[in-house]
Amino acid sequence: MTKKNILTIIMLLASAALTFTGLYMAFLWAPTHDTMGDVQRIFYFHVASAWVSYLAFGITLLGSLLYLKTSNMKYDILAYSSAEIGVVFCTAAIITGALWAKGVWGVFWIWDDMKLFMTMVLWLVFIAYLALRSNSDPGKARARMSAVFGIIGFLCIPLSFAANRIWTQFHPTVIASESGSLQTPMVQTLVTAVFAFTFLYLGILMIKTDLETTREEIEEIKQEIGDF
Amino acid sequence: MRVISATRAIFLKELRIEFRNKQMINSMLILSLMILASFRFIFEFIDFSETELASPILWITFFFSGMFALAPIYQREVEQGTKEGLMLAPISASSIYFGKFLATFIIILGLNLFSTMIFFAFFAQPMPDMGMLLGIIVLGTIGFTALGNLISAISANLSQSQVMLPVLLIPILLFTVIMTSVEATFQIFDGAVLADLSNGIKLILAFDIIFVASGYLMIDYIIEE
Repeated sequence: MTKKNILTIIMLLASAALTFTGLYMAFLWAPTHDTMGDVQRIFYFHVASAWVSYLAFGITLLGSLLYLKTSNMKYDILAYSSAEIGVVFCTAAIITGALWAKGVWGVFWIWDDMKLFMTMVLWLVFIAYLALRSNSDPGKARARMSAVFGIIGFLCIPLSFAANRIWTQFHPTVIASESGSLQTPMVQTLVTAVFAFTFLYLGILMIKTDLETTREEIEEIKQEIGDF
Repeated sequence: MRVISATRAIFLKELRIEFRNKQMINSMLILSLMILASFRFIFEFIDFSETELASPILWITFFFSGMFALAPIYQREVEQGTKEGLMLAPISASSIYFGKFLATFIIILGLNLFSTMIFFAFFAQPMPDMGMLLGIIVLGTIGFTALGNLISAISANLSQSQVMLPVLLIPILLFTVIMTSVEATFQIFDGAVLADLSNGIKLILAFDIIFVASGYLMIDYIIEE
């Protein structure tokens, strides 16, 4: 077993342990929210998924930039793997968010809320990114194209933010409000959930990059001996 | 100087192809007509003298008819095997980009002006300030074409490129240039004066500059082989 495999297993075990702790804390330990009631308990995993998706898309941007700079396939694999995981977590964040919104606001989605809108844009951009990947042949050309698209897609996030000055804010701001509205056990639960999902992300990322590297190697061997 | 003459050569080549192959332009004009006709008939029960749908209808027509004008610009080079010739030519990728950008800009702008004419013929609207409306259309078309050219270069290399162009273009274009232009056009139809529009115009200009710059910087990575 290589060192990397051991690290992956440690990540996944840490994530499993923290997820179960987090579940216990979210459902049994954390107090019920004053105004929102039990519905608010979805918040811990909603925030954690959203955080992981932003982190994953950030890593994709980093990987894309590094690929264009160095032309090293390692970074292309990193960018792609991270984007795929990011889309999964972003979907989870959108679904949990919609369920929460239905309970609190009475509707699944508020179209003129800024944060919801930005997350939707990110989600669409990276779904398009994955579609680009699956419609092109593996190789340097695909790596360059997806890096360019990843960078432009990410660039559009602040731009579309600027384009929408009229948005109202329904979405609660958790981080910036100096946790005034959150009680200490709630913050602790949130931190546990965020760490659980971050470890899960890192574990999956390691497995996924390994998988893609192997796929890359197989492609190379196929090219050497000729396609059948 | 060489960059300018190369850009000019590509620009003239593109226009020549478009105008010799009149089928292309004709079908794009017919498409705009068809899109507007569909809007006209599906919204038949709406009183258009006081509707707020004018600006979105106009921009959705621009968006989808423009998309068909963008699709062939690099696809054609791949299909007809002229891509190799273009890459072997001792000119930079950015002059190819700028040549194609200017040519498609002129074609799409012409297409959009045609759609605007049809629009006013189909929908009874109180006439807005035409100078401002044309200004916004020109500015919006610059951003649309600048980014569209880059994405078209990407999608030309993909399988199912006809589907992939809108898939890649919509998430990055819709929320930037198109939405800002729709908002500005809405204000114009609403009877705004130039001062009300200054924010919108500044934003569209900023998008134009960013998209032209990113096309200029990124096209090297797409065209190089």
